[in-house]
Amino acid sequence: MRSAHLFCAALSWPLLAARVLAVPPPLPVEHLTVERLPPRSPHWVYVYDYAFDNETDARVYLFDGDSYRRLGQIGAGFYASINLSPDGGTTAVASTYFARGSRGARTDVVEFTDNSTLAVTHEILLPAKRALSVSSLFNLAYSDDAHFLYAAYMTPAASFGVLDPAAGTTLGEIDTAGCVEVIPSGHYRVSSLCESGRLLTITLDAQGHETARAMSEPFFDADQDPVFAQGIPTNRGNVFLSFLGEVHDIDFSGAQPTFAAPWSLVSPAEKGHWRPGANQVGAVHRELGRLYVPMHEGGEGTHKDGGTEIWVYDLTSHRRLARWPLKGYGLSRVTAVQVSQDPAPILFAATETSDLAIFDALTGRLRHITKRVAQSPWMLLNP
Amino acid sequence: MRTIDQLFERSTRSLAQRTSRRSLLASVGQLLTGAVLLPLLPIDRAGVARAAQTKPRANGPEDCQYWKYCAIDGFLCSCCGGTSSSCPPGTTPSPISWIGTCHNAADGRDYIVSYNDCCGKSTCGTCDCVRNEGEKPIYRPSRNNDLNWCMANADVNYHCTVSVILGVAEK
Repeated sequence: MRSAHLFCAALSWPLLAARVLAVPPPLPVEHLTVERLPPRSPHWVYVYDYAFDNETDARVYLFDGDSYRRLGQIGAGFYASINLSPDGGTTAVASTYFARGSRGARTDVVEFTDNSTLAVTHEILLPAKRALSVSSLFNLAYSDDAHFLYAAYMTPAASFGVLDPAAGTTLGEIDTAGCVEVIPSGHYRVSSLCESGRLLTITLDAQGHETARAMSEPFFDADQDPVFAQGIPTNRGNVFLSFLGEVHDIDFSGAQPTFAAPWSLVSPAEKGHWRPGANQVGAVHRELGRLYVPMHEGGEGTHKDGGTEIWVYDLTSHRRLARWPLKGYGLSRVTAVQVSQDPAPILFAATETSDLAIFDALTGRLRHITKRVAQSPWMLLNP
Repeated sequence: MRTIDQLFERSTRSLAQRTSRRSLLASVGQLLTGAVLLPLLPIDRAGVARAAQTKPRANGPEDCQYWKYCAIDGFLCSCCGGTSSSCPPGTTPSPISWIGTCHNAADGRDYIVSYNDCCGKSTCGTCDCVRNEGEKPIYRPSRNNDLNWCMANADVNYHCTVSVILGVAEK
C-alpha cells in the first residue's frame, strides 16, 4: 500500500511543477489617472438627460456614435437650457440651483464647459428669471460669431438677456412683448415666436443694445395648425414644422426673416392621420439638405407622441426620400433625433424607453442600439 | 388681502402681456358663462371615494386617463399625498397655471380645467402623466404644459400638478 502511495506521488510531482511554472506573473501596479477625451469627432452627440423623475439633477452625456461609448458627463441642474458654441468647443448650460439642494435660495447661472476636457471653465450669474421650460435649442443660443450668448427669460413676462460669454458678464435685458425664445441670426439679430403667428426680430449693436425691432407677417395660425416651437437649423435659417406636418422654411440670413411657401410632409390622404411628433421633432443635414422627422399615426393632442417611423425629405425638391419603420428593430417611439453633419452621416434617435439607436443616415441601416442611454433623453445636440 | 391683490395684479399683468383684446373678451365671456353654470356643477367627491378603496380606481384620480387630466404633463398630485385638486402637505400651489378643456363623459359636458403646479419640494417622481388635448407650444403660455408653472413662486422647485375645475366650457 505504501509503495502505491509513493508511486502516485512520484507521478504527480512533474504535473504539480508544471502547474506552478504556468502561473502567470502578477498584474502590474496601476496608477490612478483621469481619462482624456480623444480628438473631437463629428460623430459625437451630446445627450441632454432631463432626469424627469428628479429634475434638480439633469445632465448632459457626451456619447460617441462610432464606439457606442459614453465619454463623459456635464452637470445640468434644474430645467436646464443647453447649447453648443458655433465652433463646438464649448457647452453652455443655463441652469437653476437651490442653496439646500431641493430648496433654499435660487441661483440662476450659465456654466461654460470646455468640450476638450469636460471641465467647467467659468460662469455668468443671471437674474432669477430664466425661462423654466423643457428642452429647446432656443432657450439659450450663441450669436454666429460667439460674441453674444442670449438667454430666454420668462416670469411669465417674456424677455431675454444679452450675455458676453468671453468676459463672463451680462450686458442687458430686452423685452420681447410676449414673444418667446431666442432664435439667433447674423450680426446681431434675435427673433422670437409670437402667439399671433409672427416673428419678432430685434437687431442689436456690437455692444448688445437694441437698435431696431420689426414684426413679420403671420406665417402660421396658432389655433388651426400651430408650429412646434423648436426650429431645426438649416444652412440659411431654420425649418419649423406644424402639428399637421406643414414645413415652414424660413431664411434668417437677411436683415429680416423671409418665408418660403410652406409645403407638406404628408399627402392629402395622409393629412390628419400621419403627423410629426416628439420632444425634438426633426434634424437637418445642412450640406445634403435632408430633413429627418419622427412620424406617427394619431389625431389632435398627439404632437408629443414619438415617431413609429422616421421619414426623410429633400429640402430643395420637397420630395420624401424614404420611410424607415422602427418596429422591426424592437424600438419604442422615437422622441428625439439628431444627425451628424459630416459626409458619412449617422442619425441618432432617442426613444421613449430611453434607448439610443444609431442609423446610417444615408441608407437607414441600423448600426447599433444602446439600451437606456439616459433617464429622459429629450434633446440631442451636435455642432 | 394684500396677497390676493398681488395675485390678481400678477395674473392680470401676465394675461395682458400675452393676449389680444379680442381674445380677452372671448375668454372672459366663456368664463362668465361658466360661472353662471357653476352652481350646477357636480361636487368632486373623488377624494372621498378614493379613501374607501384599497387600489387606484381605473379612470379615477390616480389614473392618467382620468377625464380631468386631458392636457396635463407632470406628476399626478393624487399619487403624491394630495388629490386631483389639492396639493400635497408642505407644498405651495402655483398662483398661475395653464388651462385645458376636458370632456367629462359622465355628464356629457366640457369643463375648463386649471392645471396648477404644487411647488417647493423636488419632483414627486410617481404617476407621470402626459396628455396634450388642446395643448399649444410655449408662445401660447396659457395652454402650454412644458413650462414650470412654479416660475412665479418664492420657491420654484416643481413637485406635482393638480387639475381644478374652473367651469363649464360653452361651445
